[in-house]
Amino acid sequence: MSADVVEIKGEMTLVSVLQLASPDVAKVRQGLQQKRDSVPQLFVNSPLVVDCSSLGDACQRLDFQALREAIVDLGFIPVGIRNIPDACQEQAVLAGWAMLRPVRQSAIPRTGRPAVQEPVTAGKSIEVIERPVRSGQQVYFPDGDIVVLQHTSAGSEILAGGSVHVYGSLRGRVLAGIHGDTSARIFCQKLEAELVAIAGNYRLLDEIETDLKGQPAMVWLEGEKLRIAPMF
Amino acid sequence: MSRIVVVTSGKGGVGKTTTSAAFATGLAMRGYKTAVIDFDVGLRNLDLIMGCERRVVYDFVNVINGEASLKQALIRDKHTENLHVLPASQTRDKDALTQEGVGRVMDGLRDDGFDFIVCDSPAGIERGAHMAMYFADDAVVVTNPEVSSVRDSDRILGLLQSKTQKAEQGGNVREHLLITRYSPTRVASGEMLGMEDILEILAVPLIGVVPESQSVLQASNSGTPVILDKTSDAGQAYDDFVRRFLGETVPHRFLEVEKKGFLKRLFG
Ligand SMILES: Nc1ncnc2c1ncn2[C@@H]1O[C@H](COP(=O)(O)OP(=O)(O)OP(=O)(O)O)[C@@H](O)[C@H]1O
Ligand SMILES: [Mg+2]
Repeated sequence: MSADVVEIKGEMTLVSVLQLASPDVAKVRQGLQQKRDSVPQLFVNSPLVVDCSSLGDACQRLDFQALREAIVDLGFIPVGIRNIPDACQEQAVLAGWAMLRPVRQSAIPRTGRPAVQEPVTAGKSIEVIERPVRSGQQVYFPDGDIVVLQHTSAGSEILAGGSVHVYGSLRGRVLAGIHGDTSARIFCQKLEAELVAIAGNYRLLDEIETDLKGQPAMVWLEGEKLRIAPMF
Repeated sequence: MSRIVVVTSGKGGVGKTTTSAAFATGLAMRGYKTAVIDFDVGLRNLDLIMGCERRVVYDFVNVINGEASLKQALIRDKHTENLHVLPASQTRDKDALTQEGVGRVMDGLRDDGFDFIVCDSPAGIERGAHMAMYFADDAVVVTNPEVSSVRDSDRILGLLQSKTQKAEQGGNVREHLLITRYSPTRVASGEMLGMEDILEILAVPLIGVVPESQSVLQASNSGTPVILDKTSDAGQAYDDFVRRFLGETVPHRFLEVEKKGFLKRLFG
């Protein structure tokens, strides 16, 4: 029964997408748990994007807080949520969800999203952010590199199609090469990130050798393996 | 030209209302015509701290709804000349504040020649907080030396960058960090974050540090803004803060654990 409540599929980004088919968090949880238990090694600490496009108005009945808790509880990392109706966005944001840009060009306008620094993408290959990226903010630039001239806070998120440079402390999450560019890299002045990912291969800071913490560091991909090394 | 200053924090109970009352009083004491507005619809508090709760007839929402004029609703402060309080409504729901309505009140105050308009924001990052910050030129972000408060202040700083009129017009709200309820003893023992840690995380110019102090509670119980208590450490710290806000260079105080004298050490 619960098998068709959720459907997980890999995307180009290699971040798993949880396609919600019911607003009932208990059911979703059950289905997700089954999926996870079928291949536990694959999903442990796996970043997860929630897609609500098949829910439509049923989204109104979704308890965003409970959903987030269930996902964390099952050992996934809720990266963000997308394709939710306007009316539900505030609720989702208050429950701590990052709003992701819808994949399909659906009619969800960008207003009402959390404090997102909107990139202008006309032909640009680099997005320069001059101010700190604060908790709850997200910088999304699928067309190239992101350069942050200051720090990024815990609870912030940077998603770039290319590489990411942070000329301050990197404390939030960073996903580079989100469309699968394995040559993308992450550079920062002070590594304190919660999560780093390149082309879907990610690591949590807890797993990172502590002698790298607080150091200028570079993150890159060698085969399937994420490498982190001091820069100087 | 009026300068609109929002006092905000994200997290509740960190000292926004205490700060708004002290700040507005400090500005008025120096001769600036000042209004302080309570944006905490449903939970009004500022009038108690200012000691004018019994003189509330009309409130902010009445003015927005056109049920009273600004002149009728503004309460002249009994302690300080040049100071006026616009209380929140106790009964209405939060939707009573509209951007357009708040804008009209700001225009009205501007026309009345107010130099400063201090907006006491409610906690949270919802409508009330948005309304309080939307028209701001400056933001005093109030933070306690604990992780959750600092994190919430960080979120508020993000909203100031995106959800204000200044931001929409491509400008910036001026940011000032005020650390309150600072206890050097608890910082030294590692129970609380130190000032440097907070500055490192938030990267916002520090405008003041107000120590944890008994005098704050005494002041609010007696309905007298703590800045009027010239002998108290918190009152002095708030006075320093106002002077810095007005452009003076004033060294920070109350950051070190107070060295107790021999007798004090013996007898507590
Ligand atoms: N420096 C201080 N020392 C001791 N107590 C303080 C200090 N500052 C504030 N307090 C106390 O903390 C409590 C909350 O203060 P206040 O009402 O100013 O916070 P607030 O941020 O406005 O709260 P809310 O989010 O509910 O509006 C009060 O009991 C107040 O007396
Ligand atoms: Mg208050």
